[in-house]
Amino acid sequence: MSPEAARSVGWGAAATLAVTVLILVGSRNLAHFDAALVAYTFAVLFATFGLAYRYTMWLQRPPTALYWRRGWQAFLQPGAWLGNLASWTTRFASDVLANAFILRRDRSRGVAHLLIMWGCLIAVAITFPLVFGNLHFRAVPGDLSRYEAMVSGFPAFRFEHGSMVGKFLFHGLVWASFLVLAGVMLAVRRRVREQGAGAVQRFAEDFMPLILLFAVSLTGLLLTASYTWMYGYGYTFIAILHAITVIGTFLWLPFGKLFHVFQRPAQLGVRFYKDAGRAGEPALCRRCGHAFSSRMHVEDLIEVERKLGYTYEVADGEVRHYQWICPRCRRASFVTAQSLLWQGTRGGGSLEGSGALPMPRYANPGEGAGPLGAEDAENYHP
Amino acid sequence: MSVDARDARVFFVDPGRCIGCQSCVQACTECDTHRGRSMIQLDVLDRARSPQTAPVVCMHCESPTCAEVCPADAIKRTEDGVVQSARKPRCIACNNCVLACPFGVPKMASSLDLMMKCDLCYDRTSVGLKPMCASVCPSQALAYLTPDELARLRPAARPVNTFRFGAQAITTKVQVLVPRGAPVEVIDVTAAMHEPSLGHEVAAEVFDAVLEGADAPEGRS
Amino acid sequence: MSDEQPPEGSAPAARRWPEPPLELETIRRFGPHRVDARSARLTAARADERLVKTHCCFCGQQCGVQLVVSGETVVGVEPWYEFPFNQGMMCPKGVKRYLQQSHPDRLLRALERDPGSPGGFRELGYERAIQRVAGEIRRLQERHGPECIGMLSGASLTNEKAYLMGKFARLALRTPYIDYNGRLCMVSAGSGNKKAFGVDRAANPWSDLLGAEVVLVSGANVAECAPITTNYIWQAREHGARVIVVDPRLTPLARTCDLFLPVRPGRDTALFAGMLHLMIEHDWLDHEFIERHTVGFEAAAAEVREWTPRRTAEVTGIAERSIVRAAELWGRAKTSFLLHARGLEHHSHGVKNVLSAINLVLASGRIGRASCGYGTITGQANGQGGREHGQKCDQLPGGRDISDPEHRAHVAAVWGVPVEAIPGPGVDAYELIRRIDRGEIKGLLSLCFNPLVSLPDSGFVRQALQKLEFFVAIDFFLSETARLAHVVLPGSLQEEDEGTITQVEGRVIRVRKAVSCPGEAREDWRIVQDLARALDRAAGFSFTHPREIFEELRRASKGGVCDYSGITWEQVERELGVFWPCPAEVPPGARRPAANGTPRLFEPGSWNPIARGAGPFFFPDGKARFHATPHTGPAEDTDDAYPILLTTGRVVSHFLSGNQTRRIGPLIDHFPEPRLEIHPRLAERLGVADADWVTVESRRGSCTLQAWVVRTIRPDTVFVAYHWGGRRSINQVTNSAQDPISKIPEYKACAVRLRRAEGPPEHAQRLEPQQ
Repeated sequence: MSPEAARSVGWGAAATLAVTVLILVGSRNLAHFDAALVAYTFAVLFATFGLAYRYTMWLQRPPTALYWRRGWQAFLQPGAWLGNLASWTTRFASDVLANAFILRRDRSRGVAHLLIMWGCLIAVAITFPLVFGNLHFRAVPGDLSRYEAMVSGFPAFRFEHGSMVGKFLFHGLVWASFLVLAGVMLAVRRRVREQGAGAVQRFAEDFMPLILLFAVSLTGLLLTASYTWMYGYGYTFIAILHAITVIGTFLWLPFGKLFHVFQRPAQLGVRFYKDAGRAGEPALCRRCGHAFSSRMHVEDLIEVERKLGYTYEVADGEVRHYQWICPRCRRASFVTAQSLLWQGTRGGGSLEGSGALPMPRYANPGEGAGPLGAEDAENYHP
Repeated sequence: MSVDARDARVFFVDPGRCIGCQSCVQACTECDTHRGRSMIQLDVLDRARSPQTAPVVCMHCESPTCAEVCPADAIKRTEDGVVQSARKPRCIACNNCVLACPFGVPKMASSLDLMMKCDLCYDRTSVGLKPMCASVCPSQALAYLTPDELARLRPAARPVNTFRFGAQAITTKVQVLVPRGAPVEVIDVTAAMHEPSLGHEVAAEVFDAVLEGADAPEGRS
Repeated sequence: MSDEQPPEGSAPAARRWPEPPLELETIRRFGPHRVDARSARLTAARADERLVKTHCCFCGQQCGVQLVVSGETVVGVEPWYEFPFNQGMMCPKGVKRYLQQSHPDRLLRALERDPGSPGGFRELGYERAIQRVAGEIRRLQERHGPECIGMLSGASLTNEKAYLMGKFARLALRTPYIDYNGRLCMVSAGSGNKKAFGVDRAANPWSDLLGAEVVLVSGANVAECAPITTNYIWQAREHGARVIVVDPRLTPLARTCDLFLPVRPGRDTALFAGMLHLMIEHDWLDHEFIERHTVGFEAAAAEVREWTPRRTAEVTGIAERSIVRAAELWGRAKTSFLLHARGLEHHSHGVKNVLSAINLVLASGRIGRASCGYGTITGQANGQGGREHGQKCDQLPGGRDISDPEHRAHVAAVWGVPVEAIPGPGVDAYELIRRIDRGEIKGLLSLCFNPLVSLPDSGFVRQALQKLEFFVAIDFFLSETARLAHVVLPGSLQEEDEGTITQVEGRVIRVRKAVSCPGEAREDWRIVQDLARALDRAAGFSFTHPREIFEELRRASKGGVCDYSGITWEQVERELGVFWPCPAEVPPGARRPAANGTPRLFEPGSWNPIARGAGPFFFPDGKARFHATPHTGPAEDTDDAYPILLTTGRVVSHFLSGNQTRRIGPLIDHFPEPRLEIHPRLAERLGVADADWVTVESRRGSCTLQAWVVRTIRPDTVFVAYHWGGRRSINQVTNSAQDPISKIPEYKACAVRLRRAEGPPEHAQRLEPQQ
């Protein structure tokens, strides 16, 4: 086993152990543990191991490790705490809670994602405490119209049976399922109707999670339907079916597309890294002399590339490393190298001029995208 | 190894043929996977001296630096060697790929927090169609050809797909055309880094007396 | 045009005509507004789409394309790989053309001039508009006679429409005064070809470029104006061809050519004379060919005797060694292809330029064989077909002569009218404008023509058009010219009609209808038929489908030089194009045209209706003609007051007067507004830096635009592209001097002076770049 894998196994085991301890403590040594949910608990424990293992593996990749370190450094910079916390809050709200960037990418994609995400979040918020036994309800002694919520064995709050709170708590899962189902249907519709989405999708990556979420929501709803309108017809069968779908989803969590739920917050770290880069010294291209990124970013990338085994070192004393060349000068050099080979076969010669080497310009001024456009000023290109 | 129809064709680039018409740029924006955005990098090298333009598409490296430096595992290479655009759920817009790609290909769409790049028109090539840019390119600087077609249409050219950047050699799926007789197996990009653009110096072809006239205060010929 | 110039030595007026109005209100209502893919097509591709195999609507290459159509909307384009000419290739105009179809500026109803209405026009029911137009024409003709009505049509129309326009003018309007905008385009080549070969068509299909040892491209910015031809030339080079480019600018094609000849504008005849001089001197001649298949060599040889390399260099401004090298490359080649375009033809001596180029071809004997070719690159969509079937002022269908009694009789029989019903020859388009100016022509019908942008000395054109008593325009967008009309009838886009077009190689191809005309817009052929009916002159205008018009065109062209009688729509579809001449019947013993017609002209042993077997060329003796072409410079050369030469041309992202392309966002972004290309030596002398605003002035008008300081142009010449209207139009400055034979105006050379402007002009601040 490689040291990276060993380390990941260690972290996986530790996380699993931690969750186990939490369950034991939260449920007062399983006093409030619902034995019917034991399969769920083991699925969660397995998923915990898998997620922790994969997350640790991921963090050990040179670029991720660097971003992880640098992201925290930028965030915890002395004197910048308060500001960082404030911008973290707004960024968390717009990126994570409101999915603003997904909506910008594609409206229908964003709406589908919002529905699925919030459906899942609500469902997780209700079911996990129940499954781990750190949330259960009991009738308020002496008052049949009110319930009391018990968190980790302590009474937390009381509510009317028919109140909004009560409705939300007892029917929350139904609502969550509807959100997820609506989101899944929107997503499938988009994938079926739009050629663009259809072109690059693959079954395991794009349809599998939708199928799983659909199955979980549908079987969950059937449970409610069974005991509400059908006098519990087929309840046990549906319950087993529901358990299978949920457990399947958990087991698949560390491997498939849904792992992005855990990777995605890194986006927030990147933003702090970019803030720090913008505040620091720029990197000047060693061909055209223009600023094209932050010096920190280029130096970090050189380190990452070395760790990955790349040898972009340039013998030329001034350039020293190819990472000091900006993207457009890279393109210009590549094309010039090819053109030079044809000299002698095709007409024309080198147009020597005085002064610095010319800076290529993006051919279509209206096509802003790319490392030359106004759009990319964000990314610190001139 | 099975060889189906799509393996039979190879993407060839001959930037020296480019006339800067932007057909590729305009056609690329028509693709349904990134409508309204072009993945082609087309630069005017030095318009003050020459109309030379530089069309660059993703070269689809065998060991793609962009994917290796991606902290989010967002860039994948398919079994048939196509390095795909960033996976939308994963890309965190860190810009590593944009800076690290030795050919300067990926583009960052800042407003979308998403890197986008040429994926060899996967929607078209995976069903046996030519990529859009190589379909429309009027100079065929970008061409998608079978080996037979290459031999028939480009008798003076020969493909090379290894490039040198400093000490690093990179091999790619997309191939660049060099003169048949040129004794090169590897195109040294960094060696050409400080070379000027190519063309004819108009004034050099003009009759001397005319130039003298042009420089004179009352100049006319 | 000496009457257009002030007397020698006097201080010339800075501006001869008033500055064009800004027309802010009209532009706000009718555009040109830009439309982008993102706003036109919000959702990505849907499954309910169909593909229509047709052709690009723009240049003469006529690339095969497949339009993606959803319901009644063209939503995109897909390459048509099977079409042999372009095999899926397209230029950016072809890629983005689909955006014109659902454009918000599109005219959906007839308009009537009304200064009180927003934008100066109010809407009018189609039937009422037709009645009004017919009434005005009848009123004018009753008072001033039939010849008081003129008609301007265009070379972007299908063969069927072009044919019908000629017939409509002669039989329904009963006027000799019809001409078309091919007058600004291919007429010099056409006249030159007819004088030298007896027939006006590119002699070879482009596939003959492969295998040519030398490709000489003269006055053709192939990369921008005929982009698909680039691949043919590069492929020829790949097979060993040397490429020679003659152009005052280092065009993208010239950048890597083997020999670049930066000719001073207006000196092409001198260059070719110098080359022929050297060919004769070194005996790089095909004596047998000259002897057997040509006449007039001696006169041509005598003419070039004085054109030593030294003298040629002095006149053309090209280095002597380059001229010698060009003659050597061309002279020693075994196969070759000569291509030319407007750079050679847009001159007051354009026909002479063409003839002197043809002299080089004939002296080498390299024509009528594989890999030995010659051709002009037509500019407009139907530049070829549009100049064959009778919308030229002196022409009847089949390339017939309107003054020739035999020709008149044939067409009169097809039309079912007495010969006298066909009026005599009219005048060229610019002369037609002059007659409007003189009050001889009082009413005008124009379609597919935007003379206010495309004719030189546009200040003159504007004030002439303003004198019209009645002006009706048929258009799909309100062009700059249509803004002056009294009534505008909503016409059809290319994708809204069926028909055939004859592209650059002489290949007749099929244009297919993808969508119906929106609103009250109609196919142009229906509109003129409705007009004929309203004029009570409906006989001969009862076609119900373009195909019926083509059937009549076949009969009308039968026996003519441009013989389409053997071509059917089915054959065109099956063969993916048929090259004319394609006669239905040939005499016994003569070679029949192949299934795809006659791709290559002048092959040994070929038959044509003029020579009747006497030889391959279209003269009674079957021989081609050399012409003695004495050099003359531009009608207006530089002098102390106007010391710089201005030349004009196109950019790749726009087409002609820009009425379509200046409404397509991605094409506007590519090249938003005109700029003045100027060499740094000249710029430095004038104190002009890159992006500075400069005013370019001639004796006729001025235009203020931003400088583009580039070393890719001759230091004594400046260049401006001509796709823009109003105050951005460089045709405010250009000269209306015309070739005496072809009547093409001299867009490619006039004398100007330059000065740095204080800052951006008013229009730059108040109008979007494309407006």
